[in-house]
Amino acid sequence: MALDYRKCAEEIVSKLGGKENVISAAHCATRLRLLIADNSKVDSKALEEVDGVKGMFESNGQLQLIIGTGTVNKVYEEFLAVTGLSAASKADIKEAAASKMPLWKKVLKTPGDVFVPILPAIVASGLMMGLVEAIPKFWPAFGQTDWFSFLDLVANTAFALLPVLVAISSARVFGGNVFLGAVIGLMMVHPALINAWTVGNYAAGEIPTWHLFFFNVQQVGYQGHVIPVILAVLLMSKLEQWLHKHVPEMIDLFVTPLVTVLVTSFVTFTVIGPIFSIFENWVLAGAKWLITVGFGIGSLIMGAIYPLTVVMGLHHMYNVIEAGMIANTGLNTWMPIASAANFAQFGACLAVALKAKNQRTKSVALPSSLSASLGITEPAIFGVNFRYMKPFICGMAGGAIGAMFASWVGFGATTYGVTGIPGILAVNNIPMYLIELVIAASIAFALTWFLWKEDDVGEASKKAPEKVEAPLYKPEKAVIKCSAGEVLQTTPGKVIPHTEIPDETFATGVLGDGVGIQPAEGVVVAPFDGVVTNVAETKHAVGLECNGMELLIHVGVDTVNMKGDGFEVFVKEGDTITAGQKLITFDIDKIKAAGYSDTVCVLVTNSFEYDDMSYPGVE
Amino acid sequence: MKSFDYVITDEVGIHARPAGLLAREVKGMAGSTVSIGKTGDEKVVNVLKVMGVMGLGIKKGDSVTVTVEGGDEDAVCAKVEEFFKANF
Repeated sequence: MALDYRKCAEEIVSKLGGKENVISAAHCATRLRLLIADNSKVDSKALEEVDGVKGMFESNGQLQLIIGTGTVNKVYEEFLAVTGLSAASKADIKEAAASKMPLWKKVLKTPGDVFVPILPAIVASGLMMGLVEAIPKFWPAFGQTDWFSFLDLVANTAFALLPVLVAISSARVFGGNVFLGAVIGLMMVHPALINAWTVGNYAAGEIPTWHLFFFNVQQVGYQGHVIPVILAVLLMSKLEQWLHKHVPEMIDLFVTPLVTVLVTSFVTFTVIGPIFSIFENWVLAGAKWLITVGFGIGSLIMGAIYPLTVVMGLHHMYNVIEAGMIANTGLNTWMPIASAANFAQFGACLAVALKAKNQRTKSVALPSSLSASLGITEPAIFGVNFRYMKPFICGMAGGAIGAMFASWVGFGATTYGVTGIPGILAVNNIPMYLIELVIAASIAFALTWFLWKEDDVGEASKKAPEKVEAPLYKPEKAVIKCSAGEVLQTTPGKVIPHTEIPDETFATGVLGDGVGIQPAEGVVVAPFDGVVTNVAETKHAVGLECNGMELLIHVGVDTVNMKGDGFEVFVKEGDTITAGQKLITFDIDKIKAAGYSDTVCVLVTNSFEYDDMSYPGVE
Repeated sequence: MKSFDYVITDEVGIHARPAGLLAREVKGMAGSTVSIGKTGDEKVVNVLKVMGVMGLGIKKGDSVTVTVEGGDEDAVCAKVEEFFKANF
């Protein structure tokens, strides 16, 4: 059944505590990423129940809702329409979230932020590359055709010029000018520079070198590099922002971009580039070393921790390692590890899908597991496995064993960016790859099947039966009417004009005109469809709003002194309420024992704005 | 514009009734707009908006900043400050 995007967005907004509570919104391949003003206003249980929301979690100061590929962008559009927010750039979200996040997390998060927006390009190209390059294996003649040559060009464009995409995305993340970012990226893969992937063909002395001041800069491009690009654009963005502030406006338009590009380029080629080329090679060497550690132990470790790096958004970084492997040896032995890890998450998620009795859990887990089997694991990890934790850990175990097996057999892929089933076309040993996938998935599946119980789902489903309780008092008649609407009787009992409330403050109408109710039962229900604007810490009063009318419901007189004892409140500030919904319950006897009046005061605090107030319920 | 800071000593802070009393006190001072907010906080409301004042959640020990704009600012400010000292 097609999802009603509008309805989904509206429900999300209401469960978030209204549009006022949303600072900004962005989305990635599968998730709606929100920055919330007051997290306490968010009804997270209800959010998870919204049709279309596959899961939610908080990370790095952001509230992230898993919606799913192809759907999230549509829900996002409706979300913007409902909230009136403009499309937030990553910079907005990041900047606002940054204040809530320690530095090391910010650093860890950046590559993920940069890569998520360019995922469509990389996923498309990766799949295409896998297919195009696999065909000549079955049909060698195809490799000589114009079609192969053309398709190969189409497929590898995004990877050959990856630094450009990274630079553009980084500029957005860091708040720099996107076009200047593009220039930096383009420069780093400029055709006049020697391609980083073919530089190995040159003898050391043959590589042309610039002598700039006391720097000797080899004229080599940055194909396949990621971190130096991100750093260069980070520097560029900060420099640009600083210059905008300090350069007089009249000359800003030509001075700022000129200085920004010139300085950034110089520092990039002389400092950032050389240092981080070395550093990336270390990372590559470290990972390569790890996976060559004896008897597949390194692969075992890597296969286990791989999904954790997905959670942290670090896995996009591995394209660098994979690209490096292909550049260096032509064989990507990283891919079987990633595949085992991903396919194990598929197995775990499938186990949840088959075992769960809850229809909702099933309906989320099944498509998520299919997506994972194709190598896109985010819905399965965030929407299912990581939420219930046990399946996630079972998946880690499966991934570890699968990766170790792959390392024992010793096969690899000839391309990168694909895992799971499409990976079949990319590997050099299809039978062993299939066995690896089966091992990873079946271990994860079996462990999840036996260890995970649906009770682990958490409070959300446990709480469900509680909703069946004795029918509440149902409000039927209106006690206050004015042009803004009607106020139904909130509490059963005798209705008196506010002037008869046994307290001077209420009686004189200082807090607005309205009625008092001498309660027959200690319950307050919502008198209209509206919003909760205020809840007293002492639980004895709530402020509501509907159509501009502000209503104060104050239980008892001087009951503030009871400090919440004998009162229970069921809503919080920002909640949307419907007429008849339970707001407060209170203990009439306790109020009387404390020596206070139990009169429930229902007052329109802005009654001076209405000249047509009437009180039909007063006896 | 005139303003003063005040630290709440009343046990229950500024809740419904105190907010109402404050509104009544200020209602008579035509021509002046009196606003209140926690000291240093951006959220400031007109004291006539009883619900808004309650929404500030002002408790004992909180410092509030009260500002008076328009009308006889000096006199109104002094009067409101006196009211705070007497009641809160």
